[in-house]
Amino acid sequence: MSSLTDRYLAATLRAVPAPRRAELASELRAAIEDMIDDRTGAGQDAEAAEREVLTDLGQPERLAARYADRRLQLIGPTYYLVWQRLLRLMLATVPGTVGVVVGVLEATVGDDPGRAVGVGISSAFQTAVQIAFWVTLGFAVLERTDTSLNLPEWSVDQLPEGPAERDVRLIDTCASVAMLLLTLAFLPWQHFQPWVSDTDGDRVPLLDPALWSSWLPVLAAVLVASLVLEVAKYRAGRWTWPLVAVNAALDLAFAVPVIVLLLTDRLLNRELVQRFEWLRMDGHLDTVARVTVVVVAAITVWDVADSIVKARRHHA
Amino acid sequence: MVSEEILRTHLQELRRGTVVVASLVALRRPDYGYALLQRLAAHGFPVDANTLYPLLRRLEEQGLLTSEWNTEESRPRKFYRISDEGETVLARLLDDLAAVQTSVAGLIEGDDR
Repeated sequence: MSSLTDRYLAATLRAVPAPRRAELASELRAAIEDMIDDRTGAGQDAEAAEREVLTDLGQPERLAARYADRRLQLIGPTYYLVWQRLLRLMLATVPGTVGVVVGVLEATVGDDPGRAVGVGISSAFQTAVQIAFWVTLGFAVLERTDTSLNLPEWSVDQLPEGPAERDVRLIDTCASVAMLLLTLAFLPWQHFQPWVSDTDGDRVPLLDPALWSSWLPVLAAVLVASLVLEVAKYRAGRWTWPLVAVNAALDLAFAVPVIVLLLTDRLLNRELVQRFEWLRMDGHLDTVARVTVVVVAAITVWDVADSIVKARRHHA
Repeated sequence: MVSEEILRTHLQELRRGTVVVASLVALRRPDYGYALLQRLAAHGFPVDANTLYPLLRRLEEQGLLTSEWNTEESRPRKFYRISDEGETVLARLLDDLAAVQTSVAGLIEGDDR
């Protein structure tokens, strides 16, 4: 017996459940030999015939999966939608929460905001990776063990509320308004209730107090205008092109001053920077500024792109 | 113009179930895998070996086929034949195939009028 067929049989049988392996081996070997004989009978070279027959039979693992009726997919149609929904839900909520909690804890224990942000982001990332891995593994196991989850059948009652044209949902609008209000509240809060105090016990604002007579009122006005935009968007029920334009203008009106202030080192309170040894060190402040600029730019681009995509979807 | 790819998938879908019917009919006369493959091909049912062999085993496990080893010839071969249960299932399948034919014919006629 030539070695190619032997190797093919071994590779196939390895992936087949043990009980009927011996019988399958004899049957498959006979079938392969029949097919080779047929080709050599027609005048083909034995070695070439063997190669061709085995190539036609295909990858051994695939053939074995057919014999064993095994699925060649990690998560099949039975569980895909449940897996996707659960993963989305968990990724949308858990990593952010963990990151914020860990970051805040780190900020209260240590006195290094940069480190706190870093720790928060890395723990959020790790949480996300862990969630993705374990959820997927769990469903892959369910898929292979044919466990039934006894999930309720889909019914029309599960259809989302509201007409389909409503792209802008109440919950999204509420979340955006809450974010904007928090940001607005942060401006006076960081001035009057900062968490850093100097050696005399006086409070040190986070942002440069000189900005109150220049850029901070502008930024506050932009935030208020964004609130109005959110309400207008909710009433329209979807992104319209004028709303997209106003949104882009407001995004830029917020991002450009923040980026310019960051790059010219005028956003953060110098006194605060002096309080933190880490920030004072060579280039660290620049790094923090640059990272923040990238984040702000990314959020702005994403927000504008998102609004355009949603507006196009509706007008297409 | 519909692409070859699309046409091929539709034809494949259409043919898929008929391989079972054809195998059950053909195995009223006992036969081993490769001989069955050739008979089916000769009668216009081209089947890949890597589809047919696993299918035969599955049908056997479902009780629609029985098998017997024949060791008289040059190499031992497993001969399959249709079981009584297989005949019952085959009768239902053939009825359904005929029903599909009738329905399609009726639809075509109805459309012409």
